[in-house]
Amino acid sequence: MTGQQPDEVDNTRRKLLLALGGSASVGLAGCTGGDSDNEGNGGENGGTNGGENGGTNGGENGGTSPSSLEVSPPQADKAQAAWERVINNPSPDAQGLRNEAYVEMEEAVRDDMVLLPLYHGLTERFWYNDVETPNTGTLGSHHQIHNDTSVEGSDTLSLTNATFNTIDPIQSDDTASARVINQMYETLTHYPAGVPELQNRLIEGVSVSDDQLTWTITLRDDVTFHDGSSMTAADVKYSLERVALSDNSVRASFALDTTGGLAIEHETDEENGVGPMSAVPDSLGIEAVDEQTLELQVSAPNPPLLDVMTYSAFAPVPEGYVGDVPGYDGEVTVDEISRQEANGTGPFLFDSFTENEEARVVRNDEYWGETANVSEVQWAIFSDPQAEYDYSVREENADIFEIPTQFYSQEQISAEEDDRGRDVGTYQLQDGPETEVNYLGVPELSTFYFAFNVSQTPKPVRMAVALVANHEQLVQQIFQGRGVEAFSFTPPGIWPTGQDGYDSWLEAWPYGRNESNFDAAERILSNNDYTSDDPYDLTVTTYSSQVFQQAAGNLRDKLSGLGVSLELEQAPFSTLQERGENGDLQMYSLGWIWSWESVAYGMFSFEPKNTNTDEIPGEANGYYLDWQTALEDEA
Amino acid sequence: MGRWRYFLQRVLLSIPVLFLVITFLFVVLRLGPVDPVAARLGPQASGADVAAVEERLGLNDPLWEQYIRFASDLLQFEGQSWVVQADRGIPAVLADTAPPTLWLGFWAILLPLFIGLPLGFYAGLNPNSSRDYISSGLGILWLAMPNFWLASMLAAFLASTASGGPLGFEWHTFGPNIQSVQGTPSLNFVTLSSIGPVPFPTGLDLGGFARDTKKILPPAIVLGSASMAAEQRIGRTAVLENINSKYVETAKAKGVKGRKIITKHVFRNALIPLIPVITNEAFLLIGGSVIVEELFTINGLGRTFFQSIIQGDLPLAGSLLFVFTLLLIVLNIFQDLLYTIIDPRVGYDQ
Repeated sequence: MTGQQPDEVDNTRRKLLLALGGSASVGLAGCTGGDSDNEGNGGENGGTNGGENGGTNGGENGGTSPSSLEVSPPQADKAQAAWERVINNPSPDAQGLRNEAYVEMEEAVRDDMVLLPLYHGLTERFWYNDVETPNTGTLGSHHQIHNDTSVEGSDTLSLTNATFNTIDPIQSDDTASARVINQMYETLTHYPAGVPELQNRLIEGVSVSDDQLTWTITLRDDVTFHDGSSMTAADVKYSLERVALSDNSVRASFALDTTGGLAIEHETDEENGVGPMSAVPDSLGIEAVDEQTLELQVSAPNPPLLDVMTYSAFAPVPEGYVGDVPGYDGEVTVDEISRQEANGTGPFLFDSFTENEEARVVRNDEYWGETANVSEVQWAIFSDPQAEYDYSVREENADIFEIPTQFYSQEQISAEEDDRGRDVGTYQLQDGPETEVNYLGVPELSTFYFAFNVSQTPKPVRMAVALVANHEQLVQQIFQGRGVEAFSFTPPGIWPTGQDGYDSWLEAWPYGRNESNFDAAERILSNNDYTSDDPYDLTVTTYSSQVFQQAAGNLRDKLSGLGVSLELEQAPFSTLQERGENGDLQMYSLGWIWSWESVAYGMFSFEPKNTNTDEIPGEANGYYLDWQTALEDEA
Repeated sequence: MGRWRYFLQRVLLSIPVLFLVITFLFVVLRLGPVDPVAARLGPQASGADVAAVEERLGLNDPLWEQYIRFASDLLQFEGQSWVVQADRGIPAVLADTAPPTLWLGFWAILLPLFIGLPLGFYAGLNPNSSRDYISSGLGILWLAMPNFWLASMLAAFLASTASGGPLGFEWHTFGPNIQSVQGTPSLNFVTLSSIGPVPFPTGLDLGGFARDTKKILPPAIVLGSASMAAEQRIGRTAVLENINSKYVETAKAKGVKGRKIITKHVFRNALIPLIPVITNEAFLLIGGSVIVEELFTINGLGRTFFQSIIQGDLPLAGSLLFVFTLLLIVLNIFQDLLYTIIDPRVGYDQ
């Protein structure tokens, strides 16, 4: 009876699986590696560049070809050292050095094969011809604000959404709720429609002190909340405090952490602290200097601060709006802001929200910016893909929609790549009105992968899995081409050493790209006494998703007879996560989606000491790799 | 043993059943591998965020304390959802999700009762005629189609009539207009007032009633299809058995009119084996509503229960199961009572 679809299980897994709704494209977003110096893969092993065999297979590329691949000593120390270099060199001038360190970490991940990247997600959107809407970008369509969307002959924009359970910015942790929240609340900076070009929204300017520790933010003076009051620095201060200090905040770490957060200066105290991070309320380095000026003290130089600021939890609400921050009584209760009220600065006002059924917002005629074209945006909420397809295509109820894989065919697309690497064109519907609709395919900043618990899976076995994996086949046959083959954890769109660096990375891939190297896998396995007569038993756990089961099955079939006996198992996302935290997974499938453009945001979880499952989820928060067991001083 | 004493015994016996159910659920969900915090916060949450939520939900307390809190919340219908409708009170969730399921269940019981049963009786009265074969054939067909398949097919077919169905039939504009086959009926056709805590209906919006009925009919047909077939088949057999029995012959010999024999004697006796079938349907409906509600996107108890189980939402899953168990026990007792009314020979005396 439990034939659950991957995306009906829970919000968070949905976020992971969001990328499953995509199509084939190898177009990639422009590189944003900063002042990269293209020195290639700075490490001493794994080949600094791929030589001249630019082809798709590793071929005769000496030293890195599958046929001569040998099991190298553990690389965990290299990764640990690289991460420490990143941490110890936070200044903007050291960007190049950090970029090299990131590539070294990628190399260590690759050469130790602790994680096999499978594909980068691709988001596909379809809309009818009577809808005008900007093309969304790699950071996801949930960034889009619909004040510039219009529907010919209708005042209502009708959309679909997945289930979510809150419209409170600080309690939201998935893209489904962010889609709705972003219409009502605005952040200080933003990525317009998810295009990775950071822009100011509620602020006029920012200045940073010489020591990089004080950020002075000047706010716009014409912004008003839905209740009519003007937005001041005190409101922004309160809103940031709410993320950091409220017990209801699910992303306090985004406000306080030095990596992957704003790094707001603060003191912690188990006794007197409040909120998820036990921060002392008055110790926060946030000060409202005057009506329009806000000063932030950060605990370490934090170049991506304004990128982090785009996260919807940091959207301003009026000071004292909710009483879950120390020192405030609150005008509305937590339950009200979660479901019944909203008071942001955005172009739409809250109208109604019934969980698992429908959400509705209406136009804010007093909006400080460009007021919306449509008077109403409405989301019908679905958890079953066919139901959603029936609603949006067969009944033509949704203006902008997605198509689940079982109803999707790549042959119906006719599209061309634009200058942002997006496929823009048309799609011929096969159901409903059977008309041609607009099509957009956007490579996403996400990576889906198989990872290994290092302490439970010997290195030759991990390498054998990588050797037999044929990415192209997996993506085309199993994921219906709705993804881009991945050979690195960091997506090419934000590769630290730029497009050239990424190209040489691809060429240096030692396990053979888009081909299965059975001989090499067998040689490495038999050299280490794993044979078909006495195979190594490896269990792979995927989440309850047919496609990942098929991908694992594909690997199992290829490994059979080579000395690894792969056993398939599936678990709901929350179970998978719990078992990962307990170190109770050998090989597993998961995904990572970047909330903002930052390499570090994906990399910090690879720091070997941060992958210790004995300390996850408390002290450590890395991937479930137990890579610290391969460190020299731990061995 | 008197009737009331028997009832009391049944009610008392249900207490250990409830206790076992509550305990079993706690053990499975709390000690099992499902992590509600992971389900709620997602993979990007940091350790501190996770620890804070664990603390807030009381997951770090000793297990026995968690158990007592869980059980007492259940009995008082208190507590809050952990994941599915995070931090929302259980009664509020129930108030939202119970009406659509009851509405679905109502029609899913009514349809078999008024289609399956008459068809079965009709077939029984005309055994081995072509009409019997058609009726029985339909019954087998209904029985053979699994709910999940029928639901997908029906939903897809009705939805695709929006762009022109066979013979120009369009479900959406047939009768009251609806926008979509998918979705939860609004159920606001009754205006309720209340004296004290007891609500009673004061007004009825016929248009709304028609719309909500039309909306619920496809899922109700799916949900009721298996029972419809079961009732058809058992009804046919029961009528056949009775019509060939000695007392019918005697009545005929006495000169009782055919119509009277059938309405007064045959039907009444034929109903006896059907009672457990009909009351048992109620249990099937609870289980079946999980699939049907999911495929027709109805925000009901079944869909909520399913989501709460797989996300480790202990309080919500517990409360729903508690409600289901209560319902089951009440229905069982009600079934016993019905027996005594329809068949006076059945009593509580041993």
